Amino acid sequence: MSSRFKSFLYSQDKAPYVFICPFVLLFVIFFVYPIISTVIMSFEEILPGQVEFLGLKNYEKLFSDRSFWIAIRNSVVYMVLTLILLIPIPMVLACILDSKLVIGKGFFRGVFFVPVLTSVVVAGTIFRLMFGELPGSLMNRVLAFFGHEPIKWLFSYGTGYTALLLLAVWRWTGMNIVYFFAGLNNIPTELYEAADIDGAKGLQKFRFITLPLLKPSRTYVITISVFAGLRMFTESYMLWSGNNSPHEIGLTIIGYLYRQGIEQNEMGYASAVGLVLLVLAMILNLSQLKVSGFFKKGDSIE
Amino acid sequence: MKRGRLFLVGLLMIVAMGFAYAGGADETTAADGTTSFELWTYVEAHSNFYKEMENIWNEENPDRKISLNITVLPNADMHNKLQMSLQSGYGAPDICDVHVNSFPNFMKGVPQFEDMTEAIAPYAADCVPSRLELYSKDGINYGVPFHVGACVMFYNTEILEEADIDYTTIDTWDEFIEAGLIVKEKTGKYMTTAEGTRVNMLSAFLGEQGGDFVDENGVPNIVTEEMYNALEMEKRMIDLGISRVSPGGKPDSEECYGWINSGEVASLAFPLWFMSRFVDYMPDVAGKIAIAPMPRFEEGQDRSAGVGGTATVVINTAHDKDLAKEFVAWAKLSVEGGTKIWEILGFDPVNTKVWDDPAVTNDPDNKYLQYFVTNPFDTLREIRDEVNIIRSVEATPTISNYFNNQILLDVFENDADIMTTLENAQEEIMNQLS
Amino acid sequence: MRNYNIYKIRHYSAVMIVTILFIILAFIFLVPFISIALSSFKPGRDIIRQGLNLTLEEGQFTLDNWKMLFSGETMYFTWFFNSIGLTFVQVAVSLSICMFVAYGFAMYEFRYKSFFFFLVLLIMMIPFEIIMLPLYKQVISMRMINTWAGIILPFIINASTIFFFKQYFEGLPKSLLDAGRIDGVTEYGIFFRLIVPLSVPAVSAMCISNGMRVWNNFLWPLMVLRDPDKFILPIGLNTLITPYGNNYDLLIAGSCFSIIPILILYIVFQKNFISGMTSGSVKG
Repeated sequence: MSSRFKSFLYSQDKAPYVFICPFVLLFVIFFVYPIISTVIMSFEEILPGQVEFLGLKNYEKLFSDRSFWIAIRNSVVYMVLTLILLIPIPMVLACILDSKLVIGKGFFRGVFFVPVLTSVVVAGTIFRLMFGELPGSLMNRVLAFFGHEPIKWLFSYGTGYTALLLLAVWRWTGMNIVYFFAGLNNIPTELYEAADIDGAKGLQKFRFITLPLLKPSRTYVITISVFAGLRMFTESYMLWSGNNSPHEIGLTIIGYLYRQGIEQNEMGYASAVGLVLLVLAMILNLSQLKVSGFFKKGDSIE
Repeated sequence: MKRGRLFLVGLLMIVAMGFAYAGGADETTAADGTTSFELWTYVEAHSNFYKEMENIWNEENPDRKISLNITVLPNADMHNKLQMSLQSGYGAPDICDVHVNSFPNFMKGVPQFEDMTEAIAPYAADCVPSRLELYSKDGINYGVPFHVGACVMFYNTEILEEADIDYTTIDTWDEFIEAGLIVKEKTGKYMTTAEGTRVNMLSAFLGEQGGDFVDENGVPNIVTEEMYNALEMEKRMIDLGISRVSPGGKPDSEECYGWINSGEVASLAFPLWFMSRFVDYMPDVAGKIAIAPMPRFEEGQDRSAGVGGTATVVINTAHDKDLAKEFVAWAKLSVEGGTKIWEILGFDPVNTKVWDDPAVTNDPDNKYLQYFVTNPFDTLREIRDEVNIIRSVEATPTISNYFNNQILLDVFENDADIMTTLENAQEEIMNQLS
Repeated sequence: MRNYNIYKIRHYSAVMIVTILFIILAFIFLVPFISIALSSFKPGRDIIRQGLNLTLEEGQFTLDNWKMLFSGETMYFTWFFNSIGLTFVQVAVSLSICMFVAYGFAMYEFRYKSFFFFLVLLIMMIPFEIIMLPLYKQVISMRMINTWAGIILPFIINASTIFFFKQYFEGLPKSLLDAGRIDGVTEYGIFFRLIVPLSVPAVSAMCISNGMRVWNNFLWPLMVLRDPDKFILPIGLNTLITPYGNNYDLLIAGSCFSIIPILILYIVFQKNFISGMTSGSVKG
């Protein structure tokens, strides 16, 4: 072993760069390069054998493209509704499962958590068939039990979205419960003991101790939910078994990107769609982090 | 201390394993002179057909044997993968089935498919010209069709007999609707069904009147009298309660197969390739279904259109393109090929000579002929000169998307005004394509 | 004393009510599983016509779907073992490299460190779907289409995994490093010989959250994989959802079976699952 190589192995100045070298390499090849080409492509029309510079034309077209706005609306509505459903419900369930109010905690935790582990492909297929339009499907039998005619669940906006949201709730409640569990574990028990001495009732403890102290968990769950909501694609792809749905109920931003870029061979236009999503996600995430005080000076990372 | 090194070795092995799991070697010509081709299709049954044709070809051409390596992928998936491999110039198959609705996407820019005109030439005189024209750009053929896809009427004779209706006397849609009202009154069943998420049926009705989705220059033009007539007629039947949007949104779906199979509907206007769906998925109505020409809108108009279809193409990166082209044209357009297309797939072959060969059209062992009450070839011969073309141009996928996902259901189920809906859609489609 | 009893009774009745509510809720959560399990014993044709439901009528019951699944005539178990293999390889590769990188961030001070770490966070902020088209072209041009390498390489770097390991390493005593250095171990020797063996608990937690992500991965493998004999389970099952062919028999039984190993893993490693999943989340 040459002494130069040996001294390299012992160098504390060079070591960190060696350690982060794989990251930098992969980052450049699979991240920086694709991002730059997305930006470039968004100004181009790309056809096999021909590439033409369009300037801002792709973006101009986006603003008058109704399907694109439907996709934005769908993704945003989905995101907002999942936030409304998937924050309070799992939080309450987690608190109850953490208290002495229920017997068989391990069992219930398992029941809520196993859907998380189920593949979207399987879950989407199950829900599509449960919400089938023929009288024999589960949901139509439930309706029949209440004396209602069978309906075409996946063919109209309201009922189609109900199915989509139930799928989301089914698949993600368990996950969010677990995040809130982690938050609950971080609350010192002394606080509750002190509250007991002060004679606080269960609900008061929940309101004045649990709720405020769960804020970090809530922030985290909101951040990932905003993100997951905006980029949703596979759920709707499986529920409508494809990227096309009646009245475009299931069309999401990523679905539209997929349709334009892959199905219709308009890579340039699709790139513009992607970049709009990127800007949207960035704005939401940054403003959410700002509201939650992430950037406040002196805040520890804990 | 050994654990660290073990870890490293294990890691390297795993990485090596992962990378070694690459595609197999690309042998194209075997030692005995057999040329192998990579072929993609999106219908399992097509692969059976190709295997059969491969065998026949090898018997007839022992000096130029071929071997097909067939991959069946789901429809959307296969087209997407083809698209992407053509974009990057790597990874495409040699021969590929392309659905008519996706075909125009591949005609954008410089087509990456081989010019098939010469290969088709020996058979062209016997084939339905409009079907060959369908897969062309600027006068050059890029794909070879499987079938005519002639639209006909499938009648459930049991229901019609119960209602005392003789379907052979129905000549216009007005008469059809009258018959439908009687069927509804006497049996309580639907006369027919409307397609809500695909445009096969709408294309048939447009084609009968000589209409189309685009004008002669390929520019979208959906605000037309023919379009209005077609949608208005379908909507009128729904309003009268003699028709409904198909379960599953379209006749070609599992839900609708089940519905037709349970004898809930008296008729269906659809392309002849639906025969194979009847035979495979609707066993309970076997021996009850008759095939007849569709009613027409007005006296003197035509009664059919060629709808749907699959183009088989040769990719320009293929090796031994000439052999590939010769095989594809032969397999799909020759009398031999046409006969197999009918026998294996139940499609109405493009080569009309097959239609006139009694050994084929009256084969007592044929499962399709056994299934239906009437002989499909009788109908086919009757409407031979009435099968109009619905063109597939660059704008077609965008237009179809609007009809599939919005227009049809808006009109049929949400009572949207037909003319306004069409005008709005026309504007949006033009914007999309700008 | 009496007060205490009243309190106890009130407490027990509250427990009863809440538990009953939870049982109802649990049943609703289980309905999808029950319905697919029941349907796996029905002929595929009935599933198409009726959809999924909670009944199993007389005369419907059949074991054909399960027989077909285990007959070896289908691709199912090829996909199944591909999924297991891919999950294993991808988790191993990704964790090793993320650990390596995280160690650099945790243990050293160097120029532009915060800039580089910002880049790690940037990955978390940008959804992969936005760059999937150029990424796909990239993978094709590197001749990695239809290979595991094509699926794995772009996703080796996982921001939350790096983040987690960095935090874990920062919690280890720095004196360990100094002791190693005094013994004459190289900087890399310290990592491989001293730190890696100490990281077993962290690795096992990350295995679970990464493994789950890889096992359920859909969109990217869908784009990269091409040959049916290389498909992983979600991609393979997705190909069965087509109106052309009687695939529902296999689809339903196959979907049902795919849940079973996960269920067993969960029951066995219940504790690790929960801690593994939450450790993936950034603290605070």
